[in-house]
Amino acid sequence: MNPEFILGLILLLIGSAVSAFPRPKNYLIQLINLEIPGWGLLLVMLSYNEALALFTFGGVSALSTFILVRVIEKRRPI
Amino acid sequence: MEVALLIALSVCAIIAAYAAVRVVLEKRPLRKLPYLNVLSFAISGSLLLILPHPLSIVVAVAYFVGSTLESNAIASTYAGGIQKDG
Amino acid sequence: MDSLLVVIFGFIAVIGALTTAFNREPYIKLISMSMMIGGIFPFIVDRGFLDVAAATAVIAPISTIFILLICRKGEP
Repeated sequence: MNPEFILGLILLLIGSAVSAFPRPKNYLIQLINLEIPGWGLLLVMLSYNEALALFTFGGVSALSTFILVRVIEKRRPI
Repeated sequence: MEVALLIALSVCAIIAAYAAVRVVLEKRPLRKLPYLNVLSFAISGSLLLILPHPLSIVVAVAYFVGSTLESNAIASTYAGGIQKDG
Repeated sequence: MDSLLVVIFGFIAVIGALTTAFNREPYIKLISMSMMIGGIFPFIVDRGFLDVAAATAVIAPISTIFILLICRKGEP
């Protein structure tokens, strides 16, 4: 039981519970809440010494955020 | 030599903890941002002292630049941002 | 890393995550998310993954700036 593993599990639980039920029911709030379990999963991957998984997950997470921002911006009326 | 490094690391960590408490306790977002900068500087100094390695300065510089850019972007967007015409 | 440093940085990360989760205004959530990332970073450096830490320190502000594009001034 490393401290990274325990901290990652705490962040993963808090983030997924809040991201499933966002309090003001809004796309922006849900997108910000979705960042928390991403960092928790990065800490859990760090606990198992997987360097290539950390690289790939960090890159794909930013790309996924960009695509979700484009979708939300297109859906919202300006 | 080792004791001095440990004392410096402890001072950086305690400054970071104090700044984190002050960030949480402030109410307005514009009052939170200077303490966020203090926390960023303390963590950037702590990253350099935590692992004695020649590549560690690159990580500290990258975190310093990135966190300052992020904080300035949040402040600029909150204060009015770029005025879009049309 | 000493147990004092583990307690302090874990405290910063958990407080940042709780404030990010249970606050209602988007700007306060972004500020607290930056605080949570600052608490997570020393754990990456302590394992010895310096290249991963340098890449992540560049990628994380870009992800925040993407979110700021839809965070306009009209809604607080």
